[in-house]
Amino acid sequence: MARIPLGDWVETGVDFLRDHFQPFFDGITTVVSGMYDGVDAVLGAPQPLLLAGILAVVALWLRGPLAALLSFAGLALIEGVGQWDQAMSTLSLVLVASVITVLLAVPLGVWAARSTRVGAALRPVLDLMQTMPAFVYLIPGIFFFGVGQVPGIIATIVFSMPPGVRMTELGIRQVDGELVEAAEAFGTAPRRTLLGVQLPLALPTIMAGVNQVIMLALSMVVISGMVGGGGLGASVFTAISQVDVGLGFEGGIAVVILAMYLDRMTGALGRRVSPLGRRALARERSADRSAVLRYRPSTAVAGVAVVVLALVAGGLHTFGGSGGTRAALPAGHDVGHGRTVDIGTINWDEGVAATYLWKEVLEQRGFRPQVQNMDVGALYTGMSTGRVDVELDSWLPVTHADYWRKYRGSLTDLGSWYGPTSLEVSVPSYVKDVHSLADLKGRSKEFGGRIIGVEPGAGEMKLLRSTVLKGYGLDKEYQLTTGSTAGMLAQLERSVKAKEPVAVVLWSPHWAYSKYPLTKLADPRGLFGRGDRIHTLAHRSFPSEFPQVSRWMKGFRLTEEQLGGLEQAIHDAGQGHEQDGVRTWLRSQPGLVDRMAPLGAA
Amino acid sequence: MSLLEADHLFKVFGKHPDDAVERLRSGAGREELREDGATAAVVDACFEVGEGEIFVIMGLSGSGKSTLLRMLNGLAEPTAGRVLFDGQELTALNGRELRSVRSHRISMVFQHFALFPHRTVLENAGYGLEQQGVDRGERDRRAAEALELVGLGEWKDSWPDELSGGMQQRVGLARALATDADLLLMDESFSALDPLIRREMQEQLLQLQQQLRKSIVFITHDLNEAMRLGDRIAVMRDGRIVQQGTPAEIVLAPADDYVAAFVEDVDRDRVLGRAAVRPGGPGADRGAAGEVPQQAPRDAAAGGKAVNRG
Repeated sequence: MARIPLGDWVETGVDFLRDHFQPFFDGITTVVSGMYDGVDAVLGAPQPLLLAGILAVVALWLRGPLAALLSFAGLALIEGVGQWDQAMSTLSLVLVASVITVLLAVPLGVWAARSTRVGAALRPVLDLMQTMPAFVYLIPGIFFFGVGQVPGIIATIVFSMPPGVRMTELGIRQVDGELVEAAEAFGTAPRRTLLGVQLPLALPTIMAGVNQVIMLALSMVVISGMVGGGGLGASVFTAISQVDVGLGFEGGIAVVILAMYLDRMTGALGRRVSPLGRRALARERSADRSAVLRYRPSTAVAGVAVVVLALVAGGLHTFGGSGGTRAALPAGHDVGHGRTVDIGTINWDEGVAATYLWKEVLEQRGFRPQVQNMDVGALYTGMSTGRVDVELDSWLPVTHADYWRKYRGSLTDLGSWYGPTSLEVSVPSYVKDVHSLADLKGRSKEFGGRIIGVEPGAGEMKLLRSTVLKGYGLDKEYQLTTGSTAGMLAQLERSVKAKEPVAVVLWSPHWAYSKYPLTKLADPRGLFGRGDRIHTLAHRSFPSEFPQVSRWMKGFRLTEEQLGGLEQAIHDAGQGHEQDGVRTWLRSQPGLVDRMAPLGAA
Repeated sequence: MSLLEADHLFKVFGKHPDDAVERLRSGAGREELREDGATAAVVDACFEVGEGEIFVIMGLSGSGKSTLLRMLNGLAEPTAGRVLFDGQELTALNGRELRSVRSHRISMVFQHFALFPHRTVLENAGYGLEQQGVDRGERDRRAAEALELVGLGEWKDSWPDELSGGMQQRVGLARALATDADLLLMDESFSALDPLIRREMQEQLLQLQQQLRKSIVFITHDLNEAMRLGDRIAVMRDGRIVQQGTPAEIVLAPADDYVAAFVEDVDRDRVLGRAAVRPGGPGADRGAAGEVPQQAPRDAAAGGKAVNRG
């Protein structure tokens, strides 16, 4: 059967939208990111424990003392494991996305309930929104909305809307037809029937839908952390890609705590706002007046408590905070005058090292560099649209060849700062008599018939599949597994601990070589090609917008020794303190900053 | 003069309803239409309801009586024919005018009470007044009065689900009475109640009627209920009214075998005893069996029959 070019059509459509509706998408971006910034500023302002207290009062109002206590403990735990800022950023994303979703979903659900035809037309659309794998639209979302929070929020809205629409429709359809008829029979106009009879009676079901919306939003927001959405998603993503199980768990448990808090609170809110739920609540309370655990402050008391705590929080912030101002620079060093440079990074160690090194250097030159951690596809897409200015981790000409081909028109190459690199398959050194790819032949039993691969889209994987394995006659004998870098490294760790033979897809430079005793298998036939060099790429307009920074970056070089030392220093400083590691390392490199970013005529 | 008149009403569901009406007019049966995908719910219904009269429409389920009732206040739009209410053609009104008539002059009592669960008893009773735009104080006062009338004055702050079925339906009745409508449509209003309560409610309705003198169209499938309540009764079968007349007329001179079989078990003494005190007597103005006389309501009859019932 002939291939149907469905994908091509979609791509054409996406290009058309991008070319002709960009102002529209820019408008959405502005509004949504404005909402996010506002909410995040509010949630991020107070002292963590004070905000935890405010949230605990909300829990007290909605569910009583026990819930308040558990909420406070859970939120304090988030702060305790150092995930507070990320958690608040995630919470802001969830709130913004959920509010927009509910504002869209409830009217749609009402419409669907009142018109069978609309309901029937919406159903397949909702199915599509709910089941289309999120990455399919998460990455293209960057075309339209740029990297950062907005594409994540949009994807979250898409993903979490269906239950909101469905439950609203269901709730309204479930309202006893005789009640609607009774309203009509007494001359109620359709709109008032909707507002006065159908919606109040459908409210418990609608609130169950809202609860679902929020929970789905949370799960999606975490996923969108991978494309630069930030928050706990980014924490978890970073941690697992460095096989930092402990940190991954800390981020994960923060997600769980947020999820449980949001779930219980919206569930209870559902009972608060619906007239029938309020009655049931009142009845429960009068039935068991004595129990302390049933205590609920009245809405007014809870409101006052929240306001008081918020005022205290605001006050503390006002008196305590001058954190945002830049340290004064020596005269003549302020080249950037606070201009923002968006640096993208894909979380490979050498990239992280170079990125934070430049972040430090640019800060010393008066710029405000912002580092965004993202998926490689998102990085190139973002940079091609100019939402990311520059990145320091492009492996060319081989590994990132596909991206370079696709986006070269809108990018510029600022040259390579490290190289050559190499791609290879490696085995632990305790595996005897395997030194070259050719030695793997006939030993597939030992290795379980597998070579542990990384992301299927990685350039090295493509090369292995198309050329290398065949060239050494390994393609029949070994299966190249696909997965993730984190998965590969986890398997490597496991095998090394058990002293089992394992063959993994790796590349140099990589910290795994310093952590484990490994043998890089030789490639006598040269099928991996000449090693890539690591390039600095920027958006086409970067050299004209930042001429000085472009010049500096063009002159940037690191030796293997320097890179190793820098990576080690960053590793020692620990996650979240990359820049401290950079500063420590810079002390051992006197004059490096001035060589990287020479001032004026000097 | 009659308050309400149904003038050759038709209601057809399904495909090509207008063609179906034409065919029904030229004598086609329900089955023929059903083969073509149309369902005739009401066929050529004509009757009048006088002021202060209880007019019962009786038939088995599926006979079209509920659809007929809903055409009387415009909840269902007739496929053909007219509804005249107090000289006004309801079928010609637009949505807003129709809603105004419904909120001020025609109210309805439902089979399963249809009380709003999120409103208190008082708020339920005041619902119609709220739709009329009556302000809160006035509304609560009149709703409370209506509740007193049905004997639920003390329950106004309760919630519907705290009341028994019979009490709930009395709230439904209070809601319908509170608006001071001229016409009450009662759709199998007592059918969901158990027999003892049903009997009580019937008595209460008759007592109230003595006092209020509303025009009532009452739908039921229960012949005894029809005989007990109705000043006049219309018997429906397969969407058509097969006979209408006073209870005595229906019992003494059934129009066809169907009606005859229907009334076989009815308590004749009771019906006839009641009928005997009516001036004019039963059957005096009747034509041949099967013809349906259009009787004007007899105001004079009301006093006599009430005595008899009490």
